[in-house]
Amino acid sequence: MMQALLQLKDVSSGYKASLVLRKLSLSVASGEAVAVLGKNGMGKSTLLKTIMGYLPKASGTVHVGGQDITRLGPHRVARKGIAYAAQEHALFTELSIRDNLRLGLAKESVFDERFAEIEPVFPVFKTRLKQFAGTLSGGEQKMLLVARALMMRPSIVLLDEITEGLQPSVIERLAEALLGERRKRGTTMLLIEQNVPFALKVADRYLVLKQGEIVDEGSAKAATAAQRIFDHLRV
Amino acid sequence: MMLLGLVGIALVVLGPWVFGTYLLNILIKAFFFAIVAITVDLLWGYTGYLTFGQSAFFGIGAYAAGLVFAHAGFTMLSALAALGLAVAGTALIGALVGWLSFYRGASPFFATVISLVLPIVLTQLLLSGGAWTGSSSGLTGYETFELPLEAWYWIAGTALALVALLGSLVVRSDAGQVLKAIRDNESRCTYLGIRTSRVKIVLLVATAVVAGLAGFGYGSFSGVVAPELSGFVLGTEFIIWVALGGRGTLWGPLLGAVLISVASAYLSSSMPFVWQLVLGCAFVVVIVLLPQGLMPLLIRPLRRGIAGEPALVDRAVRALVEQDAAQALVMEGVAKQYGHLKVLQGIDLTADGGQLAGLIGPNGAGKTTLMRCMSDGSERTAGVVRLCGHDIRTLPPEQCVRFGLGRKFQNANIFDTLTVAACLRIAGSVRERPALFACSPVLAVPSYALEVLRVTGLAGKLSAVAKDLSHGEQQALELAMVLTLEPKIVLLDEPTAGLTKTERTQIGSILSSLALRHGLCCLLVEHDLDFVHEIATRIVVLHQGRIAMQGSFEDVAHSELVKTIYAGSTHAAQEAA
Amino acid sequence: MVLLLDWLTTAAMLYIVTAGLMMIFGVMKIVNFAHGALLTLGAYASFVVTQLRLDPWLSWPLALLVGVVVGCGVEAAIVRPLYKRPLDAILATWGLGIVIGQLIVIAFGRGVQFVDAPLQGTWSIAGLPYSAYRLVLIPVALGLCALLSGLLNGTRFGVKTRAVIMNEELARGLGIHSGRIRFITFALGSGVGTLAGGLITPLSSVDPDMGLPWLVGAFMLVMVSGHSMLSLLVTCLVFGACQVMVSTYLSPVLGGLTIAVLAALTLRIRPQGFAHG
Repeated sequence: MMQALLQLKDVSSGYKASLVLRKLSLSVASGEAVAVLGKNGMGKSTLLKTIMGYLPKASGTVHVGGQDITRLGPHRVARKGIAYAAQEHALFTELSIRDNLRLGLAKESVFDERFAEIEPVFPVFKTRLKQFAGTLSGGEQKMLLVARALMMRPSIVLLDEITEGLQPSVIERLAEALLGERRKRGTTMLLIEQNVPFALKVADRYLVLKQGEIVDEGSAKAATAAQRIFDHLRV
Repeated sequence: MMLLGLVGIALVVLGPWVFGTYLLNILIKAFFFAIVAITVDLLWGYTGYLTFGQSAFFGIGAYAAGLVFAHAGFTMLSALAALGLAVAGTALIGALVGWLSFYRGASPFFATVISLVLPIVLTQLLLSGGAWTGSSSGLTGYETFELPLEAWYWIAGTALALVALLGSLVVRSDAGQVLKAIRDNESRCTYLGIRTSRVKIVLLVATAVVAGLAGFGYGSFSGVVAPELSGFVLGTEFIIWVALGGRGTLWGPLLGAVLISVASAYLSSSMPFVWQLVLGCAFVVVIVLLPQGLMPLLIRPLRRGIAGEPALVDRAVRALVEQDAAQALVMEGVAKQYGHLKVLQGIDLTADGGQLAGLIGPNGAGKTTLMRCMSDGSERTAGVVRLCGHDIRTLPPEQCVRFGLGRKFQNANIFDTLTVAACLRIAGSVRERPALFACSPVLAVPSYALEVLRVTGLAGKLSAVAKDLSHGEQQALELAMVLTLEPKIVLLDEPTAGLTKTERTQIGSILSSLALRHGLCCLLVEHDLDFVHEIATRIVVLHQGRIAMQGSFEDVAHSELVKTIYAGSTHAAQEAA
Repeated sequence: MVLLLDWLTTAAMLYIVTAGLMMIFGVMKIVNFAHGALLTLGAYASFVVTQLRLDPWLSWPLALLVGVVVGCGVEAAIVRPLYKRPLDAILATWGLGIVIGQLIVIAFGRGVQFVDAPLQGTWSIAGLPYSAYRLVLIPVALGLCALLSGLLNGTRFGVKTRAVIMNEELARGLGIHSGRIRFITFALGSGVGTLAGGLITPLSSVDPDMGLPWLVGAFMLVMVSGHSMLSLLVTCLVFGACQVMVSTYLSPVLGGLTIAVLAALTLRIRPQGFAHG
C-alpha cells in the first residue's frame, strides 16, 4: 500500500493580490516520481516555492510524512528532508564547489562519505572542489545542483526545470542520475519540466497545470502520454 | 499640486506682512537651504546618487561671498567677482567630483563615499586657513548688499520658486525620464547608447552651481560664514530633509527643508537635545518603514490622474547604405582569458547585413562571452573587433551602440518604474534627443519596432508600468527598445527563453523579416534548435571557446563533429585536438 | 624608532576601530554608520568604569557587552528590514547614530571626560620611553585579527554566514537559519565596535562626538581593503604609515585627511582596492 509522502490539500497561493494556485490538491506516494508540466506562467514554480514555504499559503495545508509543514519557513522545511533546486540563482557562485556541496549537509563529518557516493555519477567535480561555482558552465552548474540535492540524502527532491538550457548529452546523464537515485534509495521526486521526453522518462506519473489547476494527469509510461501533454501545451 | 503651489506663492508674496522679523529671518535661510534640498532630491531621488556633498558646494558659494567681501570690501565689482567665483568654483569642483565618482564601472557606494569625503576635506581646509578664512569662527561682519529684510525674503522666495519650477519641468519632461532610467538600470542605458557618466557629471555640475548660488545668497544675506556651512553634518541634514519630505517628489524636500528648519529654529532653544533626538528617531522610522517619505502620504488624496500617453507614430527608418551591409561585424583573432582560464580563443568571424546567424553550442562553449566581446570594447583580452568598419578598441558599450550595435539580453532588461512609452522614448534618445522641458505628444518608432509592439499588444499598453507587464511582454518591450535604436547589428541572447509557442512564432517571423527585408545583421544565441532551423540563414557552432564549424543548418546538423559535440564533450575534445 | 612605533601603534588602533565595521560590512554589505556612535558608547562604558572606581581592565568586557546588547536590538529593529536597501541602511544607521549620540548627551552631558588607562606609564623600547598602553594595542590588534579570521573562514558558522549574505533565499532553502546568523554577526560586530571605543579611549578623551572622525576613516579603510580580515590588517599598515608620515612631516590637519583622500584615490584607480584580483 502506497502512503502519500507529500500531500497538498486545497492549497491556494500567489503573489500579492493575484492567486496563482487555486485550491490545488495533489499527493505523491513514497518512492514515486511525478512530473509537473505546463506552459509558462501556469504556476509550476509557484507550486514548489509554496511547498518550500517561500510563499505564504492563502488556504490549504501541506503535509510531509504525516507532519503539517504549512506554516514552516524554508529552512525548517529543508530540515524535514526536502531538497530543492530552484530554476534561477540556485548556487553560491562565489563559493567553491565544495562549499556549495557541504552547505546542504546538516553535519560536516558526512561530507567525504556522501561525496564518494555521488562521485561516480558526477566525475567532473572530483578534481575541481576548490573552483568557484560561478566559473562552471551552465550544464555543470545544473549537475552541481543535482549532486548537492542527492548528497543531502533527502526523502523528497523538488527540481525546477533542471534541464533548461542543457545539451542533450547532459540531459541524458541527469536522467540516468535521477533514475539511479530512485532505484537505489527510492527517493520521492517532484519535477517541474518543459522537456517532455525527459519528464516522461524519469517520472512515473505526470500532471499538467493550467491557470494554477491540474487539468490532466496520468501514467508517464502510457503510450498516449506524450501526445496528450503536447495537446495541452500547444494552444 | 497646483493648489499647493499657489499657496506657496501666496506665502512668498504676502510674507512680510504676515510673519514677524524673527520668522522672516529664519524663512530666508530656510529658503536657501530648501534650494539645496531640491538639488539633493534631483541627484538622489531621481537619479539614484546618494550624496552628502551638496553642502560643500553651498559652502563654497557662501565663502565666495564671505571671502571677497571680507577681504576686498563690498562694491559692485567685487559682488560680481564673488558671484563669478561662486559659479566657477562650484562648477570646477563639481566637475572634478563628477570625474572621480562617475566613471565606467564605478559603484554607487563609491560615489557616495566621495561625496562624503568632499565636505570633510573642504571643512578641514577652511579650518586650517588661518586669518584668511577665519578658521573655526569663520568670517563675520563684512559689508554686504544693503537690502531690507523684506527684499531678501522676496529674493530668496522667488529663487526657491524658480528652482522648484525649473526642477519640476525637467523631471516631468522626456529628458527627465533619462534620470530615472539611469537610477533603475544604468547598464541598460549604456547599451542604449546613453553616455550615463556624462549625464551624471553634467547634472552634478548644474546642481553644484545652483547649490553654490544658494550659498552665495545665504552668505550675502547673513553676513556670517562658518565652516559648518560646508560640513558633513549639514550635508546629512539635507539628506534627512529629503528623506522625511519624500525623495523623488521635489515638493516633499522643499516642504521638509522649510518646515524642519523653522521648527528647529524655534525648538532648538527650548529643548535642544530632545528635538534632535525626535528628528533622529523620525528619520530612522521613515527610512525603515516609510521610504517614500511623509509628503506623499499626505498628498495622496489630492493627486490628480495619470498624465496622457503619447501617440505611436511610424518613423522612417534610415535606409541602409550598401557599404553598411557588407561586413557589418568583423572579429579577428579575438580571445578572452580569465587568468589561466581560456574562455575564447582564436575567434575569426564575419557577418554581413541581411544574415541571420544562429550561434549554437554546448553550455560553457563561450557564447555569452562572445556576445560581450562584440558589445563592449574592454571585454576581450586579444584580437580586433570591427562594427560596421569601426574598430571598437577598448570603447564602452555606449560607443559600440553608436557604431550600430543593439543588444538584447536574456532576462528582460528594462526600466521597472517607467511606462512602456517612456522606455521606448529613452531607447530612441540616441536618434532623437528627448525634450528638456516638455513632453512630446508623439512617440516615433521605426516600423519594425512598431510591428513588435502591435503583434504583442504592447501598442495598446503604452501607459502600463514596465514591471507590471508579463514576462513575455517584457521580453517584447526590450526587443522593441533595441530595435528603436535602428541598429545595423542586433545581438540576441536566447530571445525565446520563457516564451509560449505563439510568442515564439511571432518573434521568429519578426527576426526573419529584420534580416531579409530590412537588411540587418542578426546574431542569436539559442538552444531551441527548431527555432534556429526555421529562421537562421547560417549557423556558427561554438565549442570550448573556438568556432568548431560554420555553414547552413543542414551542413551543421548532419556533420559528425556537431553530433559528437552534443553527445559528449570529452569525445569532441579528443577529436578536435 | 619613534616613527616606527608610531606607525605600528597607529595601524593597530586603525585596525581595532575598523574590525567591527569590517565584520558587518564585509559580511553583510551593510555599512553601519552608527559605528561612530558605538565607539562613543564603548568609550562611555569605560568612563562609567572609571566613575565607579572599578578596575580599568573591566572596561573591555563591559564595552563588549554593551555593544552586543545594543547590536541585538539594532539588528532586529532597524537593520533587518533594510538588507535589500543598502543605501538606506547607511542612512538609517546614521540616524541611529544621531539618536545614540543625543541619548549620551542627555545622560552624561556635553563635557569632555577622561578615563583611567588599565596600564599606566611607559616602557622602554631600544632605550626610548614609549606609552605602555599604546604598545599593548599591537598584540591586541593581531589577536583580534586572528580570532575573527578564524571565525569567518575556518568555522562552519563562517561559511554559513557568507552563504546567507550571498543568497539568503538559497541558504534558507538548504536549511540554514539565516535570521540567527545575521543576528549573531551584527551583534558581534557591534560588540567589537564598542570594545574598540573602550580600547582607544584611554589614549585621548571622551566626549559625545569622539566617534565621528573615526567613522569616515574606518569606512574608507573598509572599502579599500577587500573582504578579509587579513587584507584589512595590511590596509591599516599601509594607510597608517601614510598618515603618520604626513602628520609628522607636513601637518596634523592634513594627516587627518590622508586616509580619506588616499582611499578615495586608490578606489578610483583600482576599484577592488587591496582585495585579490
